[in-house]
Amino acid sequence: MSPEERKVLVVPCSGIGKTYGTVSREAAYEVTEDLRPGSTGLVALSLLVLGDEEARAAVQAHPAVTIDGCKLACAAKMVQESGGHVAQGIAVLDVYRRNRELKPQGIAELNQGGQQLAHAVAEEIAAVVDDLVSCEEAPDHA
Amino acid sequence: MPDYLETTVDKFIFRVATDRLYTAEGAWALADGDRVRVGMTDFLQQLNGDVAFAEVKPEGTAVATGDEVATIETIKANVEVPSPVGGTVVEANPALAMSPEAINQDPYGEGWLAVLEASDWPKDRDTLLDPGAYFELMKGQAEEEAQKL
Repeated sequence: MSPEERKVLVVPCSGIGKTYGTVSREAAYEVTEDLRPGSTGLVALSLLVLGDEEARAAVQAHPAVTIDGCKLACAAKMVQESGGHVAQGIAVLDVYRRNRELKPQGIAELNQGGQQLAHAVAEEIAAVVDDLVSCEEAPDHA
Repeated sequence: MPDYLETTVDKFIFRVATDRLYTAEGAWALADGDRVRVGMTDFLQQLNGDVAFAEVKPEGTAVATGDEVATIETIKANVEVPSPVGGTVVEANPALAMSPEAINQDPYGEGWLAVLEASDWPKDRDTLLDPGAYFELMKGQAEEEAQKL
């Protein structure tokens, strides 16, 4: 299986104008650009909302890790609505509950706690990505 | 299960349980003799969003009417919930430490905050709103919030 075929898609919620949405997007950028650039791809939720064919085809072809900033879980719902498979849904609030010292504040620019929370979310996603990729590489899944 | 008054404002549905009394700020009080269970209303929890942490005054704490009985940290704000009744906290909801989301999921049931031994319940009761009065007040508050969206 080629690296491209092994790709895991990361789909953050939009959450424009909301702190937890910003954490969600920052985490997605960190995973796809810094932590696991070779094995992940980023899909903008807005493309799925607009029914973009390329984005829909991508989520139908690859497992997705969604990141949601609130219980509406727009990212997870839109991946499912688009015919994709949510391999793991991450809720920023759940990560914050486990890391209370990382209180996020700010919207356009996160405070230090928010940046660290985004990093914690990104680390959790990277671990999920590693599991998914190793699963797909296992002989049973070849 | 209590009965509810219900209204829809914009895309949101708000409920008011008919078996208890309310403050204008969105706290409720459900009395059983002099023991009064308190919590936050459906409107107040929806207004403030998903709860991250709930800190309720511990058992044995004396609380005056209107004093903070709990601080709720949500994704939007820190909410200090004023007690609708004065007295001593005899029970703080232990489930909220592990499952603060109960406040969002079931604000009139599993998401209760505390039980107080009231110092003068008849006096406090007279200052609270009945469900119909709170319902009308809450509808106005909800419509005001909807206009900000």
